Amino acid sequence: MLISIENITRNFTVGGEEVRALQGVSFGVDKGEWVAIVGQSGSGKSTLMNVLGCLDTPSSGTYMLNGNNVSQMQDDELALIRNKEIGFIFQTFQLLPRETALANVELPLVYRGLRAKERRERAKQALDKVQLSHRMHHRPNELSGGQRQRVAIARALVAEPSLLLADEPTGNLDSATGEEIIRLFQQLHQAGHTLVLVTHEPKLAARCPRAIRLSDGKIVADGPGREVAHGDGPVAQAVAS
Amino acid sequence: MSFRVDVFEGMRIALFSLRANRMRTVLTTAGIGIGVATLLAILGIIQGLNASFEQQLASLGSTSLYVSKWKWGGGPDWWLMRNRKNLGFKHVEAVRSQSTYARSVAAFVQGTADVEFVGLQLNMVTALGVSEQYIDSSGYEMASGRFVNQVDDDNESAVVVLGADVVETLFRGANPLGMSVRLDGRPFRVIGTLARRGKMLDMNFDRSVLIPIKTHLARFGKWRSLNILVSVDQVQHMAAAQDELVGILRRARGTPPEAMDDFSINKPEQFMEMYQKLTGALYAVVAGIGFITLLVGGIGIMNIMLVSVRERTREIGVRRALGARKRTIVLQFLMEASAVSAVGGALGTAVGLGTAQIIAAVSPLAAAVQPLTVVFGIGFAALVGLLFGIWPAARAANLDPVEALRYE
Repeated sequence: MLISIENITRNFTVGGEEVRALQGVSFGVDKGEWVAIVGQSGSGKSTLMNVLGCLDTPSSGTYMLNGNNVSQMQDDELALIRNKEIGFIFQTFQLLPRETALANVELPLVYRGLRAKERRERAKQALDKVQLSHRMHHRPNELSGGQRQRVAIARALVAEPSLLLADEPTGNLDSATGEEIIRLFQQLHQAGHTLVLVTHEPKLAARCPRAIRLSDGKIVADGPGREVAHGDGPVAQAVAS
Repeated sequence: MSFRVDVFEGMRIALFSLRANRMRTVLTTAGIGIGVATLLAILGIIQGLNASFEQQLASLGSTSLYVSKWKWGGGPDWWLMRNRKNLGFKHVEAVRSQSTYARSVAAFVQGTADVEFVGLQLNMVTALGVSEQYIDSSGYEMASGRFVNQVDDDNESAVVVLGADVVETLFRGANPLGMSVRLDGRPFRVIGTLARRGKMLDMNFDRSVLIPIKTHLARFGKWRSLNILVSVDQVQHMAAAQDELVGILRRARGTPPEAMDDFSINKPEQFMEMYQKLTGALYAVVAGIGFITLLVGGIGIMNIMLVSVRERTREIGVRRALGARKRTIVLQFLMEASAVSAVGGALGTAVGLGTAQIIAAVSPLAAAVQPLTVVFGIGFAALVGLLFGIWPAARAANLDPVEALRYE
């Protein structure tokens, strides 16, 4: 089991009032799975995504990632885990605007401490995988939205993490380009990568082999993407009851 | 990730960011640069002053002791010294015959005189009455002719040796030897001229005339107390020679055993103390000005770094998400701050040194800069950047990655 989450909660205090964003969430993800996490805004899916990405730690419960108990880790250890185990893909791409595509892709390897030559070599290979090696010396503002997201995917792949974590990866793209990115995800899935994708788009979730639906900080459905995506499948009802 | 990589990457990002914000870099740099320039220009002048003063002090001789009724630099007990008995020739003789450490013993008195030559006049010139030994250890050297000798002294001859400024002002290139000048109206024959010696504090050694001591006493008043200039044979003997002098003089003057010395033994180092007292306050003010200027520069750096952190909040979030530790972020911003400051420091150093040289060229002030000062200028600027970069850097590192990524 790559991800094993046990009874996780996450509480925030906003303006003196306690918000319980996650209220006891448990699930597991196997190596090679492609899972969508769906839910309305405010359902807790962003909080879950931050916890899964080790950007945030749960208030209680355990989170095991690739054999590491990350729920108890300190800041520096979390940085190390993020660098080693997780490849992030963001809705807004989050590329450094002043650096070239190549330099952006190299970044995780910089923080891993690799030498410049090896970084460059591996970054080029990663850009090759997303068919962008011909644009590697361009800055983000010289690239189209789809190209930017592909650079971001190359950056997520370059350090060979055990988990790819995508947050609304098609949210800022037109449907044709979005389709291109989804096909790229399908290829990555077939190549054996583990993908967790957070989205509010049922159409996207429906194309994932598995989907988990969150509502009010709890899992209300977990099953094949087609069924869970629209929130009324038999599995959803089974979990609810 | 190793510290080496942290530093390396920090440096690369810092330079990158400086290049990307050229105008801002230039302005921030100017702030710190002006601070360093001010500090270095003043330091250059001060070091120059010190160097020329020390040189002058050395010309008084490190083995010279000046016995006098008065203590140099005065003091609150000047009225005690006024009541002391004068020093006379018998005391000079006592020292000359009894001192075992003295290489040479000279007597001299000091007054002022108006010096005149064919209608040209110099007022209030230092007029020294000296014995022939005075030339041995006074720091003066002959330029032409001869010095005062024993025969001149015994005969109370009206002969004079002229200081360099007196020669220049009254003779304007003509040869003064054998000419007759008037000191306070009385004619004196010029027998020699002195080489240029320079100034120390408010004393101009070149604006002086030297005549035989007995002539001086006869023409300008017998009431003066003599000064005895003792040149000790070796520097190591200075303390012993001073003790010996005290004994000789107390005996010669019949000072009762319980009484304090009724004379003072002065040393050129006393001028150093006076000089330090005079300049100490000045240095403190200057140091204060420099400190404030750098403080202002430092605040400029802090301000710009805070802007930089805010502008790059998302970048910080991305870097943290991709595995940068807090330490890495701190280093990145510290490097940026100290790089800006160091560049400012380097420019400031150049401008400051240039200014000091210009001031030295157009004014009587001297400028001297020790190589260490340059290193100090750049290093100190970088340190200021580092210090004032700490808070912005810490702010950057402590950003919550989730918040930072969401920042618009």
